[in-house]
Amino acid sequence: MVKFLKPGKAVVVLQGRYAGRKAVIVRNFDDGTRDRPYGHCLVAGIKKYPAKVVKKDSAKKTAKKSRVKAFVKLVNYRHLMPTRYTLDVDLKDAVAVDSLQSKDQKVTAAKEAKKRLEERFKTGKNRWFFTKLRF
Amino acid sequence: MVAAKKTKKTHESINNRLALVMKSGKYTLGYKTVLKTLRNSKGKLVIIANNCPPLRKSEIEYYAMLAKVGVHHYNGNNVDLGTACGKYYRVCCLSIIDPGDSDIIKSMPGGDH
Repeated sequence: MVKFLKPGKAVVVLQGRYAGRKAVIVRNFDDGTRDRPYGHCLVAGIKKYPAKVVKKDSAKKTAKKSRVKAFVKLVNYRHLMPTRYTLDVDLKDAVAVDSLQSKDQKVTAAKEAKKRLEERFKTGKNRWFFTKLRF
Repeated sequence: MVAAKKTKKTHESINNRLALVMKSGKYTLGYKTVLKTLRNSKGKLVIIANNCPPLRKSEIEYYAMLAKVGVHHYNGNNVDLGTACGKYYRVCCLSIIDPGDSDIIKSMPGGDH
């Protein structure tokens, strides 16, 4: 009886190219839109997880290993598995629905998402979100 | 072993309450619609049959945990649950949206797992 599909919720994408990837809900469209007459949401997720960093890595190697590749996508609720985790990263201004219209807009949105997610990863918080889901 | 043995009496009362919900309330039957009602926070109680596949059962329980909705594990399989709903088909899980005149939600909050 509590709405849990809210912005900031960490979800796992279940279908499509990004199946198995963790993502965070940026914006919900519970009643759908004219183009998508079903409940869906805009998610920003991790395309490529950051690699495991070892203590003996040099600073350059650590920087290279801590890179995150992000994606932005509109996903049907049916193709998501919500989790009990949240990720309060402010992505609303970076990622908007109209940033999915053209390819280069999508690329800039993904780059912004990448930047925000990378700085969140470097703080060491939300460790679960940045670990690959093994299956 | 002090197991919470489901006596015949409570089992019958659940059936009675379910019958009242079927008559006077709103409900949906089936896994897809149960998840739908949990997502849009319309569901108030979820009932799962005992022969529901464990992965599906866990998934429904997880969604219900997120939505803070009670789950009741029905003491019977999907054939029995379908009969209890007055249907001639099997029902593995159902979601009660509006209990109508029944007190099924008040009498089992959180569900007895």
